[in-house]
Amino acid sequence: MESLAIYVPRLVTIKEYFAPGHRACMGCGEALAVRLVCKALGRNIIIANATGCMEIVSSPLPSTSWEVPWIHTLFENTAAVASGIEAGIKILTRKGKYNNKTKVVAMAGDGGTADIGFQALSGALERGHDFIYICFDNEAYMNTGIQRSSSTPFGASTTTSPAGKVSIGQTTWKKDLPAIAVAHGIPYVATACHSYPFDLMNKINKAVEVNGPSYIHILSVCPTGWRLASDLTIRAGRLAVETGIFPIYEVEGDRYTLNLDFPKLRPIEDYFKLQGRFRHLSKETISQIQERVAAKYSKLKERAARNNYQQ
Amino acid sequence: MEKRDKIIEIRWHGRGGQGAVTSAELLALAAIEEGKFAQAFPSFGPERRGAPVLVFNRVSDKTPIRARVSVINPDIVVILDPGLIYITDVTAGLKEGGVIVINTTKAVVDIKSEFNGSWKLAVVNATSIARDTIGVPIVNTTMLGALVKATDIIELESLAEPLKERFGARAKGNSDACHRAYKETEIAELSGVVKKPTKTFETETFPSWQELLPGSVIPEAGNAKQYRTGDWKSESPIWDHQKCIKCGICYLFCPEGCIGQNKDGYFEANPYYCKGCGICARECWTEAIKMVEEE
Ligand SMILES: Cc1ncc(C[n+]2csc(CCOP(=O)(O)OP(=O)(O)O)c2C)c(N)n1
Ligand code: SF4
Ligand code: SF4
Ligand SMILES: [Mg+2]
Repeated sequence: MESLAIYVPRLVTIKEYFAPGHRACMGCGEALAVRLVCKALGRNIIIANATGCMEIVSSPLPSTSWEVPWIHTLFENTAAVASGIEAGIKILTRKGKYNNKTKVVAMAGDGGTADIGFQALSGALERGHDFIYICFDNEAYMNTGIQRSSSTPFGASTTTSPAGKVSIGQTTWKKDLPAIAVAHGIPYVATACHSYPFDLMNKINKAVEVNGPSYIHILSVCPTGWRLASDLTIRAGRLAVETGIFPIYEVEGDRYTLNLDFPKLRPIEDYFKLQGRFRHLSKETISQIQERVAAKYSKLKERAARNNYQQ
Repeated sequence: MEKRDKIIEIRWHGRGGQGAVTSAELLALAAIEEGKFAQAFPSFGPERRGAPVLVFNRVSDKTPIRARVSVINPDIVVILDPGLIYITDVTAGLKEGGVIVINTTKAVVDIKSEFNGSWKLAVVNATSIARDTIGVPIVNTTMLGALVKATDIIELESLAEPLKERFGARAKGNSDACHRAYKETEIAELSGVVKKPTKTFETETFPSWQELLPGSVIPEAGNAKQYRTGDWKSESPIWDHQKCIKCGICYLFCPEGCIGQNKDGYFEANPYYCKGCGICARECWTEAIKMVEEE
């Protein structure tokens, strides 16, 4: 928990822009993340949303959970559609036909971001459109039944990286999308998780203020695909952060900030043991992963410390 | 056994995540093992874990099965979750002389009155059997044992191979569950006139493409609010006002956004949407929220 002395209704808007009646699984972390993101974004936005769980569960024709302008896009062109909307707004504004400062937001899952929509995303970031790209990372293609993506973590069992006698599950390391976004030299990159809602909403608010592209990567727990009890969604997200597996940080220009730092990280087993997708892992594999987590985390910490030193 | 011409049709009622699809597949595999014709397939909507789901089987001794459509007039219905009988009409279209197999903690005499028709009723406490034998309340394989007891659709032994194939090391627990259910299933003959279905089990109908607006525009923002997801739950959150400090953390973490404050400042879930995930109860730091089983 971020702070014990809180009274939530005074801190967040009571308004919901992602209406109930959506058909996400019970306990879906991605649906919660979308709900919180929408609260922070407010009304003056246009969303381009790739195919995936959140699109499917929110818009079975002719009904929709969206209370804001929203368009369903393909995987391949989400960032391109967002770019087009942004360019359109710019032109209309220049011609004096529009003056609303509407923020354009692209949303996609990890499959839609790390794999299929990757080049459109890179192009949009490079061209410098004034938009926010949000990746809801549940670490696999969940809508189609848990296929591995390049964002699936090492060792996780999915239907296309199944654990068994000869396989430990996913045999590649999770693609570091935030780092790739940073490499584009864009003004704002951040990671977040629904288990830290105030941090998440602050980052969305920040991204709205940025002039230019921002990229926000939200770890979104999927109880169905991770094989986890539906009430443990928030706890699992918290453990991903407390173990250092998913560090919460932001990068403004080249300034790194670790928003949640822990004097001592918890062992990754604490996170793994909640989830069926890691159940098969041997002690050796776990310690191999542990080493990598520790190394990556301390690198991040060094970067953040360097900023502080320069200050 | 004498070979029948008839195609037996089964409709399974479960909730997403309970494994009804697996049960139906295992049944079809076992039937095929016996040299019969069989098929198994679910009915898909955008609904997810917790939502009521339908799965279908067709099995026949010697007639090839050509139909590829949902089962409307089943010979047998199997109900994995007892709560479903209150939210969907599980016997809709069930033929006269048909069979109902239901997982319930109740005895035959106590649940009989829920069904009105000249059917055979088979009851089994599958949840408790599954807990004992498999260790988790996943009743799909247990219900297969009850189904075999109530009908002669396949021989119990024919399930051994498919179970082994599907569950590997966990096959024994599942096979034990099947056998115990076979022994413990209670059967009764019901009487009464089959009534016209009250509620349809098909949750909704979708418009055809001609009825959609150009570009599939949905002009009414947030109209998904009409859709009741509250039917998905098997447990509901209950707030203890003695312990609640009115912090609102439950409100913040609910993926449905269905927790609100009442006029006294206490929080409560809107049962129309609450899916019973249990997050609010888990995250409440004063442990003021308890999940209680739905009636
Ligand atoms: C080009 C293309 N390939 C495949 C699909 C099928 N498909 C629909 S949703 C989905 C999974 C999406 O995964 P992700 O982007 O991670 O989102 P999630 O469902 O996990 O939220 C796939 C593969 C598609 N719609 N388009
Ligand atoms: S599969 Fe996962 S991400 Fe998709 S709706 Fe279910 S819980 Fe949410
Ligand atoms: S159990 Fe609690 S958190 Fe889950 S849907 Fe119901 S009210 Fe929301
Ligand atoms: Mg995904």
